[in-house]
Amino acid sequence: MTEKVLTEEGQQCLQALMRVWFDFERSLSRVPLIQKLERDLFTVEDYRKLLLNIRQQVIEGSRWITRCASSFDREFSDVRSEVIAHARDEHRDYLLLEEDYVAAGGVLSDIQEADRNPGSEALHGFLMYRATQPNPIDLIGAMWIIEGLGQKMATGWSERIESMLKEESNPGSNRQRCTRFMRYHGENDSEHMDKLYSLIDRVCKTKSDRKAIVRTATVVARLYSMQLEEVDYE
Amino acid sequence: MDVYINSTGHYLPGDPIDNETVEEVLGYVHGKPSRLKRRILKANGIQRRHYAINALHETQISNSGMAARAGFECLDQSYLNRQDISLLSCATSQGDLVLPGFGSMVQAAMEIPDVELFSSHGICSSSMMALKTAYLHLKEGEHSNALVIASELASRLFKASRYEAIQGSGAIDFNAEFLRWMLSDGAGALLLENKPRKQSFKIEWIKSFSHADSYPTCMSVGSPLDSSDTRTWQDYATYAEAEAAGCLLIRQDVRLLENIVKLGADGYLRLLDKGFIQKDEVDHVLCHYSSHHFRNKIFEILTMAGAMIPEEKWYTNLYTRGNTGCASIFIMLDEFRRTQSYEEDDTLLCMVPESGRFNNVYMKLTVVGESS
Repeated sequence: MTEKVLTEEGQQCLQALMRVWFDFERSLSRVPLIQKLERDLFTVEDYRKLLLNIRQQVIEGSRWITRCASSFDREFSDVRSEVIAHARDEHRDYLLLEEDYVAAGGVLSDIQEADRNPGSEALHGFLMYRATQPNPIDLIGAMWIIEGLGQKMATGWSERIESMLKEESNPGSNRQRCTRFMRYHGENDSEHMDKLYSLIDRVCKTKSDRKAIVRTATVVARLYSMQLEEVDYE
Repeated sequence: MDVYINSTGHYLPGDPIDNETVEEVLGYVHGKPSRLKRRILKANGIQRRHYAINALHETQISNSGMAARAGFECLDQSYLNRQDISLLSCATSQGDLVLPGFGSMVQAAMEIPDVELFSSHGICSSSMMALKTAYLHLKEGEHSNALVIASELASRLFKASRYEAIQGSGAIDFNAEFLRWMLSDGAGALLLENKPRKQSFKIEWIKSFSHADSYPTCMSVGSPLDSSDTRTWQDYATYAEAEAAGCLLIRQDVRLLENIVKLGADGYLRLLDKGFIQKDEVDHVLCHYSSHHFRNKIFEILTMAGAMIPEEKWYTNLYTRGNTGCASIFIMLDEFRRTQSYEEDDTLLCMVPESGRFNNVYMKLTVVGESS
């Protein structure tokens, strides 16, 4: 049991980020699709809908992270290295997601041809805009939300989805094979989180750094919720 | 106007019951020992607790009776008599009667005349809601004193016969049995006044954050075992049918329970952020965690956030007095006041995270002397 972030400014930033996260979790719990998932009323059709709608953001995720890396100048070359490593780890994980979609009974071309929903458009637009700014340290806040969600998917959601798939009469579906994307995040994201904690110490030096990081985390959390709310309007 | 806790009292029924004896009192369901008991007791760390029922399942003292005993013990150490009390604010999860309000029954048991009455209903945090109401009455100058009492008689829910009454019950599921090894009986009381006496705690503030809009019900009585059935206990033709369907068992959705740790931390971080409290000013923490299991989880999350209050400042009597629901925090404060060392100007932070549908209450107290 150790403190994850050591500088005074960093600790204040982490505490604020934790609060943004808790608030995000509560807003997720109010999204109809997630409410069904967390109350064990989720169906395999709901699961396919969820995967279909988050795929675009997962693909675009690797783009904003790589652009973010290129926006750091030499003063932040160590940060750039971390961000590049992160992008490399995840830039092809949408392939896993597509395989899960097919394993859950979906047709590959359906997920490949799907458009971004309005929430995904807004999220992607915001992240690309921020990633284009010089030294976009505030995107640590975006990573905080998205990595946190990876952990939540892996530890909470995948288990519920697997038990749902077991109960549903769904011949031909292999339930472990349907949740590999979510599971993958569980195995890797705690390492990513540790790197994030050290990045907070590294980049959050002033009150205005902290405000920027927390602001971006708040916006990303809201837009991510919107992306999931839009699933039911598609 | 300032508000002070000037006296405290508690009542725990009968002899303490240790872990070896607990099932002899509550009874063996279908004559068989529980397979979950040892595991749950190991996780919650409770060594002793008290029950108002005996091994024959006869109730030895009622819930309002316990509340009255705690109230009298509190008054016995104060400058006031029962006739002087002007506000009586009471809390419980379940009174002896479904109606009227618990406060009426406690007033009658204590024979307090002409009092203004408040009854708060809920689970663990209902005592803090009753306390907050009393605190605001005094702060506003509406009353100059208030007796606040919280009391629980949960053991009646845990009699073996309750589980045997379930239709087609082979084995009880984990969620229905969990609380059987967690909760026990007792009552605590606090006396509030507008001026400090000896050994007073000034109430600086009481704040609470409820999250029922975001989370499903986690701890309840009233729903059937079959979660797809949306009826509640009074929707059945007879209470016998409701009982057979499992509506009268107290249940905890253990999978949801973990949320309590982060929601508890969330409220604390919120108070830090708003400047209601500084972590370095806290001298004593009294936290009503329901189980030892959660103590470590709370420490982990607060340490990670860099917001931990050193472990030696945390006080609890959970392990020896049991988890008495809403009465716990008052029983804890009472024992702290009588047995622990503290000094004038010390800051106490009290926390009550309730898992019912996730309501978290926090209170800051300052130790003051008579001269203050």
